[in-house]
Amino acid sequence: MVEVMGLSKCFRRRKQKGRGRYKKVPREEGKMFYAVTDVSFHAEAGAILGLLGPNGAGKTTLLRMLSTVLKPTAGTASFDGIDIIESPLEVRKRIGFLSDDTGLYGRLTAREMIEYFGKLHGMEHRRLKERMNELFALLDMTSFADKRNDSLSSGMKQKVSIARTLVHDPEVIIFDEPTTGLDVAAAEAILQFIESCKAEGKTVLFCTHHMHEVDRLCDRVVVLHQGHLCFQGSVEEMRSRTGKTHLDEAFLALIDSAEVSHAA
Amino acid sequence: MRLSILTIYLKDMKEILRDRKTLIFMLLLPTLVVPVLMNVMIGFISRAEKKARTETLSFAIFGAEFLPELADAFTEEKGFEKVNIPAPEAIESAISENQIKFGLVIPQAVREQFESGEQVAVQLYYNNASVASRVKDRAGKVVREVSERWRSNRLAALGLDTAEKRENLLSPITIEEHGTANMREVLGERLGGMLPYLFIIFCFMGAMYPAIDIGAGEKERGTLETLLLAPIRRNRVVLGKFLVIFTTGLTAALLSLTSIGLMLAVKGQEVTGPLGEVIESISVVDLVLIGAMLIPTAAIFASLLLSISIYAKSFKEASSYCGPLNFLVIIPALVGLFPWVELDWFWAMVPITNISLAIKELVKGTMNYHMLVAILGSNFIIAGALLVFCTKWFEREAVLFRE
Repeated sequence: MVEVMGLSKCFRRRKQKGRGRYKKVPREEGKMFYAVTDVSFHAEAGAILGLLGPNGAGKTTLLRMLSTVLKPTAGTASFDGIDIIESPLEVRKRIGFLSDDTGLYGRLTAREMIEYFGKLHGMEHRRLKERMNELFALLDMTSFADKRNDSLSSGMKQKVSIARTLVHDPEVIIFDEPTTGLDVAAAEAILQFIESCKAEGKTVLFCTHHMHEVDRLCDRVVVLHQGHLCFQGSVEEMRSRTGKTHLDEAFLALIDSAEVSHAA
Repeated sequence: MRLSILTIYLKDMKEILRDRKTLIFMLLLPTLVVPVLMNVMIGFISRAEKKARTETLSFAIFGAEFLPELADAFTEEKGFEKVNIPAPEAIESAISENQIKFGLVIPQAVREQFESGEQVAVQLYYNNASVASRVKDRAGKVVREVSERWRSNRLAALGLDTAEKRENLLSPITIEEHGTANMREVLGERLGGMLPYLFIIFCFMGAMYPAIDIGAGEKERGTLETLLLAPIRRNRVVLGKFLVIFTTGLTAALLSLTSIGLMLAVKGQEVTGPLGEVIESISVVDLVLIGAMLIPTAAIFASLLLSISIYAKSFKEASSYCGPLNFLVIIPALVGLFPWVELDWFWAMVPITNISLAIKELVKGTMNYHMLVAILGSNFIIAGALLVFCTKWFEREAVLFRE
């Protein structure tokens, strides 16, 4: 289970080129930019939580804080009771992170790369070999496991990324726009994989812009707008709250109403 | 946790060694190119020198009838060939057209001047722009021999009948030189400035590409963030990467040291005389100490380059930062080449320059070992401080996630 409690993150702004002053824009005060402000929600084990929001809403910053890559300015979060600030290394052992721009080591083979991350997660040699064989069979990777990553197709690369995410068998998996830029077949493989994670009882945080994916996969959704949480609940609650049948329309209605309340 | 440093180190080394650019800068360039270039250069210079000394010099002479002894001396001397040109005014154009190498003009008044005991001047025209030209030396030698004969005759006419009496008159005071420097010191001064410059540059070049690749390159390719998600402390990541850059820089420097050493050893057997003695007098201990000087140098470069690389957002940006850093390395290393800069306690405190000067002293065989310890110590301290800075730098979100 993931518990997020009042997470906030602000960054020091850089001065505009050619200006001595800081330009006044929304979410910015003086030298500070407020990327995420006081966000709280929870995600249950065996469920998929959708994280939605327009570009620049603060989703990636929020996910980076949850994965302990960034330190929160205020608030905290916990994974099965383990705090991200107090025990970041323990948290990292429990999470897997997959995004559309996750890079691969081009000069390594798929096998070498998966082995590398397994070792970094402190996996014992025999267990790591077993796990790699399981993943290669599951993802049908055996034919290209010993080819260099820079010679693989996009679909193959995506499979290597999935294997890298799962090698240490994480309890919580975070997906940051994982289907962006993929063709229909590759995107479908990812969606099926997310469903299988849920079936295995893992906690899944799923960030996406595609509402049909949300409709298909998510048990609950959290909507961010300008760093603030503006909705959390089930997909059906999202529809009933806005009175819209289509999820795209419901999402836009939520963003519009958040814009109005921010302006007020 | 130490295993994680080793895991990162081994993985990054594997990647680096599969990169052609790194292999060229780390292995090929220091091992082959410099010794080959030096060999070609030495061969070229010695061939040019030999040619300048032995080639037949064509010349034109005017006024030979006024001083036939000199004209005859040039005709009798081997390696000179007389060419006829119309007039003294044509000498310069004949030289520029390579018809003759030099022209001599003996003035009409020369016999009278000689008879009256005056000094006689003979005009020599030659192309003085050519550095390798030996025309002045070779023509001058013939003129000096004739001049010497005349001087002896004049002095004999004055009653100085022995060579000793003549010499006593001409040079009442002479200097007997007792140089305290041995031949190793003298030649080491010339050779020793160039070697550290090469080692330092190769050390930097060997470290530069791997540093950019495993810092800014990883950032650009999106693999750095994935690495930061692994359950290891960031200082372990820095140490793993630092060791990779340190290894490549040091390997490049040591390879250049080894290959130049081997070349000198092979050439040294061929070379006789003082240079051969100098090459033979450089011991294994000296080479080990030179290698030891390169260890903190590689560590300083590794920390600096990794800090820059981590700050940069892309491979291109990191490359543009490393350009100016090149000068910061080249200039202090160049100081060791200046003949008037000697290693003293002031220079011993200047990083890079002190390494350059210390290697020069080791080649010369005049190293002050107290100073050597101080130089090694101060450089290790600087390298350590820079590594601490790099670690702190790597922990800053503003550096890792620079927008």
